[in-house]
Amino acid sequence: MSHQLSRRQILHLATATAAGLGLTACGGSGSGGTGGADDGADGDSGKITVWSWTTAAEALRGVVPSFERDNPGITVDVQDLGNPAIWDKITVGLASGGKGLADVMHIGVDYLPGYMEKFPQGLADLSKLGADRHKDAFVNGLWPTVIGKDRAVHALPWEVNPLGLFYRHDYFEKADVDPASIASWDDLIAAGPKIRAATGAQLLGLDKPGTTQDMDFFQNLMQLQGAFYFDAEGKVTLASDEAVQALTVIKRLNDAGLLADTAGQGTWKRLVGQGKLATVPYPAWAIEYLATKFPAQSGKWRVIQPPAAVPGGGRSAIVNSTFLTVSATSKRRKAAWRFVEYALTKPAEINRMFASGGVFPALKGAYADPKFSAPHPFYGGQKVLRSFVDSLESGAGATNFTGDYSRALKLASDAQSQVLIKGADPAEALKAAAKQLAQQTGRQQAA
Amino acid sequence: MSLAPSERAPASGTATATATGTPAGRGTPRRTDRARPGRRRLLTRESVPYLLIMPAVLGFAIFKAYPIAASFWISLTTGNGDARQFTGLANYRRLLDDPLFWTALKNTALILVVQVPLMLGLALLVALGLNSTKVWLRPLWRLGVFVPSLTGLVAAGVMFSVILNRDAGLLNWVLSLFGVDRVNWLGSTFWARVGVVLVITWHYTGYNAVMYLAGLQGIPKELYEAAMVDGAGPIRRFVSITLPQLRPILLLTVVLSTIGTLQLFDEPYVLTGGGPDNATLTVTMYLYNNGFKYFDFGYASALAYALALIVSVLGILQVRLMGERR
Repeated sequence: MSHQLSRRQILHLATATAAGLGLTACGGSGSGGTGGADDGADGDSGKITVWSWTTAAEALRGVVPSFERDNPGITVDVQDLGNPAIWDKITVGLASGGKGLADVMHIGVDYLPGYMEKFPQGLADLSKLGADRHKDAFVNGLWPTVIGKDRAVHALPWEVNPLGLFYRHDYFEKADVDPASIASWDDLIAAGPKIRAATGAQLLGLDKPGTTQDMDFFQNLMQLQGAFYFDAEGKVTLASDEAVQALTVIKRLNDAGLLADTAGQGTWKRLVGQGKLATVPYPAWAIEYLATKFPAQSGKWRVIQPPAAVPGGGRSAIVNSTFLTVSATSKRRKAAWRFVEYALTKPAEINRMFASGGVFPALKGAYADPKFSAPHPFYGGQKVLRSFVDSLESGAGATNFTGDYSRALKLASDAQSQVLIKGADPAEALKAAAKQLAQQTGRQQAA
Repeated sequence: MSLAPSERAPASGTATATATGTPAGRGTPRRTDRARPGRRRLLTRESVPYLLIMPAVLGFAIFKAYPIAASFWISLTTGNGDARQFTGLANYRRLLDDPLFWTALKNTALILVVQVPLMLGLALLVALGLNSTKVWLRPLWRLGVFVPSLTGLVAAGVMFSVILNRDAGLLNWVLSLFGVDRVNWLGSTFWARVGVVLVITWHYTGYNAVMYLAGLQGIPKELYEAAMVDGAGPIRRFVSITLPQLRPILLLTVVLSTIGTLQLFDEPYVLTGGGPDNATLTVTMYLYNNGFKYFDFGYASALAYALALIVSVLGILQVRLMGERR
């Protein structure tokens, strides 16, 4: 029969399809970095493109008119690629030697060290363009991230997200819990059952199966202790006492029935909307997010500094940060740098972006603006921004994300799921994860 | 039958020379043409097929053969950007010691063993139903069965993540009408796998049913009529006529479904992200993570080759077991 495939044809089809799909996914990418910086040029005029996402892209567009006015000869096209699509696009571009990349790219701290480490020729050396002079302009804890192995600056900080504890003021009152008495997670775990009994709300929500690998809370609990997955030398610390303490706090919350499962599309938002969560341990971007998404709850929320992970411990942490970079293969590196410098080192511009996109600025000079001391109606007139600035000024340390952060995140997420779903012991789960992380990355484990 | 160059009409230059009555006109031009291949015509009966397949061959060489070869080279190296060091089979050895690779392979195999027979059995039943002349509004049913396979894979994943939501999902709401407790579809290792099987089955059953339907319609009716005259019942006719006649299509769907399942990525990626605790992590998802999240292209390429090898071996086995005996 004519439509029938022969045995040979089917075998060819099978092999070609499998090899084709699997390999084209990686093929060509590994030879990445060809040319790198050699392909670019220091043009200082013409059209530059900028890649960002959602509200941040919108905020950047707000800078364009004044920048173009002050820099005749340069036009800027800000493109919103969406998150997470932007990461695949940048990764593929870097892996193919920088072809097709935008001149300026907005990159998060979770990707930046990986890009600098794995594609050392991919991001332009901004030190050559004068970036070092801005070293002290940004809050502590961010500058080490922008330095590559070549000791040069490869990015400029834009956004910093200090941690805060948003809480339902009305619930705390109803349960007769004084927020001033909450200094550590021990205190909050002790107050949790009272709040639940009085309001029916659980303390906070977490994606227990780890579908989204949102490990911010676990990381925050480590960062509050000055720790992370890796130490300053890049050694694996995923099984450290601090990590075990962090996961133990989460386990205790879960065992006490204070942890709602937020797995699934839109679950967290629904739970907050229904008033089923009493606290939200989120960074500064949540200030406007909560206010715009849940306007009906206006006046019911307040913010305090995050409780310490261990009694008497530190109460400030930088959850994450984002940066602007220039592609090494850009034909207009000087023009691109001028835009980055213009957008991120001028308090007026950075605050304009903050006002339109909610991106909390990393530039210290921006905090002098009166808005940082203004009362916020959604938070019952509390000066919420000031509390976050104070938190930053109280000295959150640098976090060494390293080029292997994504792998660490995955393994930590697996360990957390094992504890929350299967009741595993935090120390054992983290020990196995740390061993695997060291094995897969070739890094040593810290003693 | 193709013509040799010497048998064709002479090119215009030759014709002119002949017409002017020069010495070249005494039969020599033919030999001259043969001795100068540069003057051969490009379009001949032999060359046209090659010219026609040239774009496909070029496309294959650039977009398939080159990446396949480059990927093999990368699988033997490690390093960042341009600075790649040859490490021989180190990535393959690492793969053998990597518990996550074995977990991903086990998950993929489990989905393959459970889902493919389930889906193909269901597709065959649906095709038999759609082929029956007794079914009313057949085109409408056929459309309904095929429509899921037109849905984007990511869209299907997102849709099912809503349907399977423990607290607000449609499926748990329907189950609650029958007094069944809420199932934590995406939050338990067992049910998350069931969820993935559900999505794939929903998505591809119609596609396979349409293939079977085409096969069923190609079976000569005389075979059934003769069997009925001989007194064969419906089951006997199904076993002795339908199944053997469908064998080429069955083989095709089994092989294609096997390859598809081994390359499963989109649905679990969207639905569960490989969780919980890697219960739905597939080999291609792990490959993607290594390449595009961990930037470990050497290891990702080794994974791709390991997967290609597994697919090839399974393909050969299936063809040997199910293929027509000669």
